[in-house]
Amino acid sequence: MPDRRETLAWLLRALALSAAPVVHVDSASARQGCAAAPAKPDQIGAAWRGDRGYGRDPDLLHPQVTWALTLTAQQKTAIARLADVFLPEEGSSPSASAVAVPEFIDEWVSAPYPQQQQDRVVLLEGMAALECAGNAPLHTLNASQAQILVAGLHARAAEGKEPEARFFARFRHICLIGYYTTPVGVAELGYVGYQPSARFAGPPPEVLAKLGL
Amino acid sequence: MATEPFDVIIVGSGAAGGTAAYVLTSLGARVCLLEAGRYYEPGRETPMFQRHGEAPLADAGTPDKPFGFYDGTVDGGWILPEEPYTTAPGTEFRWFRARMLGGRTNHWGRVALRYANHDFKAYSLDGLGADWPFTYEEFAPWYDRAERMVGVFGTNEHLPDIPDSPPGCLQPPPVPRSYERLVIAGGRRLGRPVVASHEAVITQPLNGRSACFYASPCLRGCAIRANFQSPTVMLPPARASGRLTTITHAQVYEVDLAPDGSARGVHYVDRLTHQHHYLAGRAVMLGASAMESVRILFNSRSARFPGGIGAESGLLGRGILSTPGSNVWGRFPQMEGLPPFNDDGVVSLPHIYIPWWLLPEQRAGRLPFARGYHIELYGGRTEPSAYTFDQFNVVSPLSYGKRLKEEARRYYGSFVRFSQRGEMVMRDSNRVVIDPQMKDAWGIPGLCFDVRWSGQELRQTAHAQRSMAEFIEAAGGQLVSPLPSDPAQAITAPGRMIHEVGGARAGADPRKSVTDSYGRVWGVPNLYVIDGAAFPSSANKNPTLTIIAFAWRASEHLRKYLRNELHHA
Ligand SMILES: Cc1cc2nc3c(=O)[nH]c(=O)nc-3n(C[C@H](O)[C@H](O)[C@H](O)COP(=O)(O)OP(=O)(O)OC[C@H]3O[C@@H](n4cnc5c(N)ncnc54)[C@H](O)[C@@H]3O)c2cc1C
Repeated sequence: MPDRRETLAWLLRALALSAAPVVHVDSASARQGCAAAPAKPDQIGAAWRGDRGYGRDPDLLHPQVTWALTLTAQQKTAIARLADVFLPEEGSSPSASAVAVPEFIDEWVSAPYPQQQQDRVVLLEGMAALECAGNAPLHTLNASQAQILVAGLHARAAEGKEPEARFFARFRHICLIGYYTTPVGVAELGYVGYQPSARFAGPPPEVLAKLGL
Repeated sequence: MATEPFDVIIVGSGAAGGTAAYVLTSLGARVCLLEAGRYYEPGRETPMFQRHGEAPLADAGTPDKPFGFYDGTVDGGWILPEEPYTTAPGTEFRWFRARMLGGRTNHWGRVALRYANHDFKAYSLDGLGADWPFTYEEFAPWYDRAERMVGVFGTNEHLPDIPDSPPGCLQPPPVPRSYERLVIAGGRRLGRPVVASHEAVITQPLNGRSACFYASPCLRGCAIRANFQSPTVMLPPARASGRLTTITHAQVYEVDLAPDGSARGVHYVDRLTHQHHYLAGRAVMLGASAMESVRILFNSRSARFPGGIGAESGLLGRGILSTPGSNVWGRFPQMEGLPPFNDDGVVSLPHIYIPWWLLPEQRAGRLPFARGYHIELYGGRTEPSAYTFDQFNVVSPLSYGKRLKEEARRYYGSFVRFSQRGEMVMRDSNRVVIDPQMKDAWGIPGLCFDVRWSGQELRQTAHAQRSMAEFIEAAGGQLVSPLPSDPAQAITAPGRMIHEVGGARAGADPRKSVTDSYGRVWGVPNLYVIDGAAFPSSANKNPTLTIIAFAWRASEHLRKYLRNELHHA
């Protein structure tokens, strides 16, 4: 089966949807002063006008992303570098970029909904701050440079410094969603389900034993 | 479409309207069902095997689909741009609606609990709110009919807050999941009951419907008809009778009265064409959902009823009820790092619940609040989704790299949400009125809500928060976050629990109620309010089973009324 996100990206390119995102924070302009403007969630929420989403009656059997993906190739590369530090390859467990987490993040921050538009600001703003800190365009970082950058980010986030703390939390969260809702991620968590059966057996004896029941 | 007048016009096709359509057609009446939403076919449209990761944004909720992409709500949500409403300054009211055949029964939580006699007669017991105009015993036969038709699993526990059902009403419940067993054990330690939930899901075949196959979330609806949805349970037999006409996209805004004061038809606007229509009928039943039915009554103004039908007592729109609710999350270290196993069960619905256990103490005046609550439980090893990591983020916000992956695996499935569902005390000051400024897309005036929690609900919530924390500890867990010191921070906004009822309450005295005991608006012998609008009180039990039983009873009453009327004609 082709990967759904690849299919969607291809589909959207083919459709050549050109709608621009509602909120613009591009890292270039944020970089100039090397200080990002704080996000204003209320304004962002108000920007959702009920249009350009998938609507209130989408075809549930054939899910489609209806908005244009908006990240540049460089932004996606940068996100891949960072995401692979958050969720690295580990034995048979693939890295974030190997299961299309950057594509998922593009889908997320390009969505017209308030939460996603807010995350767009947090992510792009945070990346701009990181570029400032690292003094290099993020997409040019190699793996060990990215590792160092995230270590610094983590230290600032642990101290509650903004915008790093906000960026760390939201970036990590969206990576987790993107990773662990793929078939690989679902299997790694050990979710077993979606197995139609005549009866529900309940937890097996070894689980009950572990639970002390 | 038949041109002759119908016996009965039913407005709305959800729990109330679907039930009335089924009962009345089965009793021989010719029914026209007017539904504001579109036609909906669960057998064809339900995404049974689509996984979260295949949906946009991994199925996360959005303003378009607040409960996720796959949720079985069509043209609904917290905000309907074409049908706005307002709230009084300083108040909040969350109003979730669906505009589709079957209404909100397509994706409701399926908790289906009977009210007890003390719920119907709470005013007599503590002097607050208002009594229902009948006792449990008088109403119970319709609960029996409702449970047999709906298909409800559960057990008879002989507990004071939840009446037993007669044999043959309840189906066997599924066995508890892993975390549910921890809570049962915790309840035993505390000496508090933890019993099978009552859910509108069949575990055995019923009336040609297949039993649950324990896969696919119920909130998407069910293509195999194993849970209750009006379009899969009530409407098929109504349609098969040959006596049902359904008109979709029909937004009813006014009941038309004959010079003698009886109802003779309704006005509606076609939501697609914006054309106005009139439909004649010998009787009218309002089941548009509680607040919407009240709105239609308000908007039905005439020389006889200048303030709207039913407004004479001054009580129309008053006594709006919601469900006080709050959540406490527990983390259960025993559940960390378990080997993979299938804990789906009836996907997304609890198998067990904690019924209100302090009735005697409350009766004896030993609690600082008058009405009870029950606790529902959600969590465990559900399919990984956009919400799987919400509590993990609280517990371990800063890990990354290999450690993040290890922790994601370890903590997965070890969180459980305890959720209070309480009873609100009915007060006339909580009300809806027509906001003359606020018109919907078809020019029909909308509602303004003024609903506030009182100390009753806040003190109940403070108690519930503590009890839920006690349950978590007794079950071997820990709180994910400390309890807020102020219950006002814990309690969800009025309306948020989606159990809004009241506004046209039933009663025995026309001066103190809007309808009689059958939901018949005082003074209009053939106009019935059959949904939650007629509720004089709302127990800690989710309202829908009671709505179904109430609509059933009203429908039988109307059938008799129509027969008598024929006799006298
Ligand atoms: C997420 C969720 C979980 C829930 N969980 C539970 C639960 O576990 N237990 C429980 O008891 N309840 C639960 N509920 C509440 C339950 O869905 C409602 O109580 C129930 O559906 C009410 O039935 P009703 O017929 O009054 O209204 P609805 O089911 O809302 O149906 C009303 C119908 O009327 C139509 N309509 C509205 N206005 C008009 C008009 N002007 N003209 C024509 N048609 C109109 C609507 O489009 C709709 O189809 C839940 C609800 C939600 C959303």
